[in-house]
Amino acid sequence: MWGQVKEALGQAAAHFLTRSARLLPGLVALVLALLVSLFVAWVVEVIIRRVLVGMHFDEHLIRWGFPAPADSVHPNPISRLLSRAIGFLVVFAGFLIGLAAFDSEWTTLFARRTLEYIPNLLGALLILLIGSVIARFLARSVLIGGVNMNLQYARLLSVGVKWMVVVLAVAMALEDLRIARSIVELAFGILFGGIVLALALAVGLGSKDLVSKSLERDARKVPREPIEEPLRHL
Amino acid sequence: MTTDAIPQQVPEKTEPQIDSADVVVGILAEFVPDDFAGICDSLRTLPEPLRIAILHEDLVAKSGDGSQSNETIKGASLYFMPSLLAKSDPASGPVSNFSTLYQSVLAAGEKLHARACFVIASKLVPVSPEWPRQLAEPLFERNFDLVLPHYARRKFDGLLNHSIISPLTRCLYGKRINNPLGPDLGISQRLFQKVLGGARNSGDATRTHPAISVTPTALVENMQVSEVNVGARAYPPPDWANISSLLSQILSPIFLDMERNAAFWQKVRSSVSVPCSGDRMEIDDDSTTTVDIRQMVETFQLGNRDLREIWSLVLPPATMLELEKLSRLLPDQFHMPDELWVRIVFDFALAHRLRTISRDHLLGSMTPLYLAWLASYARDVRVANAWAVDRRLEKLAIAYETGKPYLVSRWRWPDRFNP
Repeated sequence: MWGQVKEALGQAAAHFLTRSARLLPGLVALVLALLVSLFVAWVVEVIIRRVLVGMHFDEHLIRWGFPAPADSVHPNPISRLLSRAIGFLVVFAGFLIGLAAFDSEWTTLFARRTLEYIPNLLGALLILLIGSVIARFLARSVLIGGVNMNLQYARLLSVGVKWMVVVLAVAMALEDLRIARSIVELAFGILFGGIVLALALAVGLGSKDLVSKSLERDARKVPREPIEEPLRHL
Repeated sequence: MTTDAIPQQVPEKTEPQIDSADVVVGILAEFVPDDFAGICDSLRTLPEPLRIAILHEDLVAKSGDGSQSNETIKGASLYFMPSLLAKSDPASGPVSNFSTLYQSVLAAGEKLHARACFVIASKLVPVSPEWPRQLAEPLFERNFDLVLPHYARRKFDGLLNHSIISPLTRCLYGKRINNPLGPDLGISQRLFQKVLGGARNSGDATRTHPAISVTPTALVENMQVSEVNVGARAYPPPDWANISSLLSQILSPIFLDMERNAAFWQKVRSSVSVPCSGDRMEIDDDSTTTVDIRQMVETFQLGNRDLREIWSLVLPPATMLELEKLSRLLPDQFHMPDELWVRIVFDFALAHRLRTISRDHLLGSMTPLYLAWLASYARDVRVANAWAVDRRLEKLAIAYETGKPYLVSRWRWPDRFNP
């Protein structure tokens, strides 16, 4: 019996070692791919950071309305962040290549599904970026227009417009990423529908007295001579 | 005035087909028939025998005739040609419309090989039909290239001109011109060909406004410019809601011209007067006219609270600090120093060139600052007479000239020089 146990153990060990040995080339390929991608990522990060710093990318973004990161001890934090993100993508690509070297069904499937998802990811990032730019542009336009019209709530209006556009962009990005589609659709519909209904009720109910007083005033108004404005600009 | 200068009936006649004219006159203001006839009579009495093409939108409705004048009084013949004038577009802003009309008058001058073009866009008070002839005399008798009116001034007339356009032109180009933008003016052939050529070369008709480019072009090309004393302009009622778009439409081309002519104005060190003909007119200006500045101060204070983030992209910290102090003043103590206003105008001109932010946003955000200057000026001149108002505006113009080294330094080293 001990002989059979020893034989079973020996076979199991040999099986395990054989399977492990079969995995070794893939593992070595994965490690090599990671090392190479780390090196390439470092080179790409340095090049991209130098290009962005040379273009004054951080200053342009701040002028376009994007806030500078708080508590940043490094100069040009946005360029640094972006170059690091691109470097990470290169490392991730190396990891996927290394995974595909295992020649196993699930690793190949994983790599393929991840690569198929990348266009959606890029599309979502583009939507977020464009949405953010449009949100800030519209917010600034509303703010300036509201201040020039002497509206005390100009800033509130501007923030409201900005967040509406941002929420719309986030919903579109989530739709593109195929994340919880029906939940996002429903939530977005409820949110926007709720906002519109609240505004309609606020205007309708809140201005009821104002409208009736205004109508009464118009009915009783005696025509007056217009006051001449003495200022002439041009 | 000869009322029979314009026939009464409405005949079915076509516009005269002429290949050339000595003078093209664009009449852009709406005159009553009597005043219009007076202007035509005044033009007929020009010293030389001239062929004068009259461009006026409402000509047929007013005069009832688009045909060649049958009378040649004292050698001048008038040809009424409304089709050469562009049609106003109600959808465009008033400034864009004016620019299109000016462009069409100059283009008509080029087409008809005219020696000079005149634009008559103002009604004057007191009414004086002779004044278009006063614009023509320096052009024909003394060979000036550009003749501009020097309107009799009421203290709250032409505020954008007095706060920015006139003193900035004086500071940049070295000539003391009271109304660089006219709108009435007389231009020689040499000058209007330069202006039209510049518009074509720029490749973008929306970037050049002939009315705004005429004076800088004349000064940069060292052409002869003179002024003529005339009455006060009759202004349309102001539209407060559109001050922001007015600033944007007027200042954007001025700042673009500044960018184009930078090599010239950086060398100019001081200013001189231009020849001025005619007697200065005194008009009744109620020196006790006051303006309620509270709303202007409130708009400025609101702008200081909500637009600081935008202003800080354009203005240096020292200016922001002064604006903060200014925003704490009550309306009856409100005073914006001229030097501060001058630096603000220069900084906005530089930001316009560098495209620090969208140009529309830039000039829109300047509106509360302009209203702050306006409130300060209205407070300064509330009981001032005409002489005191002149001194006040002269002081502002000197502040522009004194501040020019600041502009030149910031223009040449926008990143380095930031007090």
